[in-house]
Amino acid sequence: MHHVLVEQWSRRASWLHRRDARGKLLALVAILIAIGTTRIDAHAALAAYALLLITALLAARLPVISILLRSASVLPFTGTFALVSWIAGDAPRAISLLEKSYLSALAALLLISTTPLPRLFAGLESLGVPRLINLTVQFLYRYLFVISEQAQHMRLASRCRSSGKNNHGTRSRFAAATGSLAVLFARSYGRAEGVHRAMLSRGFAGHFPLLAAPRFTLADGGFLTAAIASALLVRVGL
Amino acid sequence: MHIPDGFLTPPVWATLDILAVPCVGILTRRAQRATDESKLPLLGVLGAFVFAAQMINFPVGPGVSGHLVGGTLLAATLGPAPATVVMTAIIALQALVFQDGGILCLGANVFNMAIAGVLAGYLPYRLLSKRKSLALFSGAFLSVLVSACLALAELLSSGVKMPSGILGVSLGFFVVSALIEGGITVAVVKAIDRLNPAWVPAPQQSPRRQTGWIAVAAIVLAVAGILFASAAPDGIEKLSSDLGIASQTKALFSTPLADYDFKALPSEWLRKAAAGLCGLALIYIACLGLERLLRRRALPEA
Repeated sequence: MHHVLVEQWSRRASWLHRRDARGKLLALVAILIAIGTTRIDAHAALAAYALLLITALLAARLPVISILLRSASVLPFTGTFALVSWIAGDAPRAISLLEKSYLSALAALLLISTTPLPRLFAGLESLGVPRLINLTVQFLYRYLFVISEQAQHMRLASRCRSSGKNNHGTRSRFAAATGSLAVLFARSYGRAEGVHRAMLSRGFAGHFPLLAAPRFTLADGGFLTAAIASALLVRVGL
Repeated sequence: MHIPDGFLTPPVWATLDILAVPCVGILTRRAQRATDESKLPLLGVLGAFVFAAQMINFPVGPGVSGHLVGGTLLAATLGPAPATVVMTAIIALQALVFQDGGILCLGANVFNMAIAGVLAGYLPYRLLSKRKSLALFSGAFLSVLVSACLALAELLSSGVKMPSGILGVSLGFFVVSALIEGGITVAVVKAIDRLNPAWVPAPQQSPRRQTGWIAVAAIVLAVAGILFASAAPDGIEKLSSDLGIASQTKALFSTPLADYDFKALPSEWLRKAAAGLCGLALIYIACLGLERLLRRRALPEA
């Protein structure tokens, strides 16, 4: 799965990787707000944000080109709307839609490729995200790959059974897809019960444990201040 | 449709973030009461199921296929509040980890799909508990349509321009995908029900059926209204100026909220947002008072 690469990036070591997740989350929100409130014709400011983000990528010793390419995954959606805006005669907005959504995606990608997810979720929880939602997100992420794999196996099996041909009618293929989805649901339900039994036997205390308790140090405060200050400087100055 | 960052203007995303936070808070608390500790992994694993279910393609017609969105299926199997929690988790994970949908407009996406989408999907299911297929179909249909129309309305009111031809085509596209979602949801929930009826619990009978129908009608009207209002923001003003009543009404309605403006606040959008919120609060208080009054009249002996 494509996400494994980001997981690997997030486990590298650099000054930016060592910063506390809460500081990085707040810094992300600051730069996103700065990008979001910039006027649509302020191309200099948008270029400055890009420069800031690329500097951070270099400081985190991440592969700049592949991250820049990966952020382009927003462009199909944005491109469609940019095209529609262009047709409607609003070319400046079309360009700004592309710029702003690309930069925002790049900023978000920078966060998750410098922060391991367990730390990110712990940070979110201490910033006030309800425990139930946070636990659900973590369980979801843990079993996402397992259940997707199961879905792929089932699809492969059904293609093998029909020897790769689609010579059945739409109705029977629809029924087959329905059946496999119901079976996938049943298996997920059973898996959740098994997961709960395993949790009980291991003494689950209401949280996924972290290897080390998160600490907000002076360096984290410095990083957050610097990030907010530079975002503000670009927003007001350019 | 996950809206990425950079599309919505600050007033739109900020308002929806402010709106979504308490809604999610309340629904999470309800979900916490409804699910015991043993169901904790179930929410996450079923979220993963919905994620994975989108890989299974349903042939719908020649060359056309769709996939499940899942809000109504979750509401029918888990109940509305836990379904909202699961959908919120899915949307948050997609925004944070997969860059599918923005982070500042997380509130907007959560509101469209997890709150309005799930509740619009569950209401018909609860009201029509005798005719399950119809209920599921209309629930899933409404759910997708409401989410998509809200997203479109938010984009339009953020100033993204769309020629009316494209607007019409996308509305038609929404209706088709809502119909597909309806068909898939009915088929899959029925199949799950055959495997184990306990997985699709019957909704609690609502004692106040009429209230529910009024809510459904209100949702439909509100969404249609929002869509029309954002597509033609100055429709009413234009109408009144065409009819020549604008000059007379200005004097009549010179209230503190006139033209949705607050003079004391510095920036324009802040003023408009504050005025809008005050208006909503006033309407809410009026409704609350009316409800008290009606209840007292209905129970004279109490």
